Amino acid sequence: MVRRSGVLLKSAATGISSRLAEILVCPLTKQPLRMCEKTNSLISDSIGVSYPIVEWIPRLVPSDGIILQSDQDLNSSDSPQTNSS
Amino acid sequence: MATTLQFALPSIAGRRRRPDSRSIIRPVRCAADRQALFNRIAPVYDNLNDLFSLGRHRVWKRMTVSWSGVKEGDTVLDVCCGSGDLAFLLSEKVGISGKVIALDFSREQLQIAASRQSERSKACYKNIEWIEGDAVNLPFSKSSFDAATIGYGLRNIVDRRKAMEEMYKVLKPGSKVSILDFNKSTSSLNSSIQDWMIDYIVVPIASGYGLANEYHYLKNSIKEYLTGNELEMLAGEVGFSEAKFYEIGAGFMGNLVATR
Repeated sequence: MVRRSGVLLKSAATGISSRLAEILVCPLTKQPLRMCEKTNSLISDSIGVSYPIVEWIPRLVPSDGIILQSDQDLNSSDSPQTNSS
Repeated sequence: MATTLQFALPSIAGRRRRPDSRSIIRPVRCAADRQALFNRIAPVYDNLNDLFSLGRHRVWKRMTVSWSGVKEGDTVLDVCCGSGDLAFLLSEKVGISGKVIALDFSREQLQIAASRQSERSKACYKNIEWIEGDAVNLPFSKSSFDAATIGYGLRNIVDRRKAMEEMYKVLKPGSKVSILDFNKSTSSLNSSIQDWMIDYIVVPIASGYGLANEYHYLKNSIKEYLTGNELEMLAGEVGFSEAKFYEIGAGFMGNLVATR
């Protein structure tokens, strides 16, 4: 599941549809992901890893994950809100 | 029966490395090597599939989709989607009210798949979403999919049990996975003919594309694969309630259908 702020669930920038957002999880922890629209990536808060979305294709191979180094990275400008699913 | 040679090259997890040399035949053992192999053949993969199977791969893939039990409105998964053949077929079945999630480890294959999608005009193809992902670490919630397929992918996955376990978890109870691949035949005649065709037809033609080493991998990958019985047993061990293997393509291909 992808948590996101109250913006359109599919935009030119993110390209993640609502149905896809409902089922995507971190490939390692299987925990929900948080959409970060600022960096156009999916954040696995449980392990502090960011998975990029490039040309509307999420890169969710574990080795694609970028370790977030700082609290600033973890607390992105997007405020996470839980979907009603 | 037409020559039944089909290429399914690996899409597996691993590190991203490029091989040092393409002139030396090396074992394609680890996931990273297999990923690199599929990236290299991506530009000609579709054309060679048509050439070597004389177009028959399209029929086998339609059978795979049919066996998956997919229907309109479903949310379905295609693992090791490559350039998207099965994803497009699934898309036509689920329609605009459904969704196809297509996953592969090869970035190059996915780029080709996305390009093919943008070139096609059918509205249903808009329902396909491409994911770069690892078959042994699927990034999906449990019980998310009404059906799943893998075409010429399971044979190339290093940890096939893990991949089967992952697919089991993401399928809804009662749903099926339909797995198409070369048949590792128990018939010595079939095996011999398969070997001969790879050695004397596939590899020589592939060498014309500069891909002899990549397609030489094919023969060993079949030998290291599981027989139909072994695939049925593996599915049962992983937890699937039913598993049935069907030989098709004059016995050179096979399709496992497992029900969660």
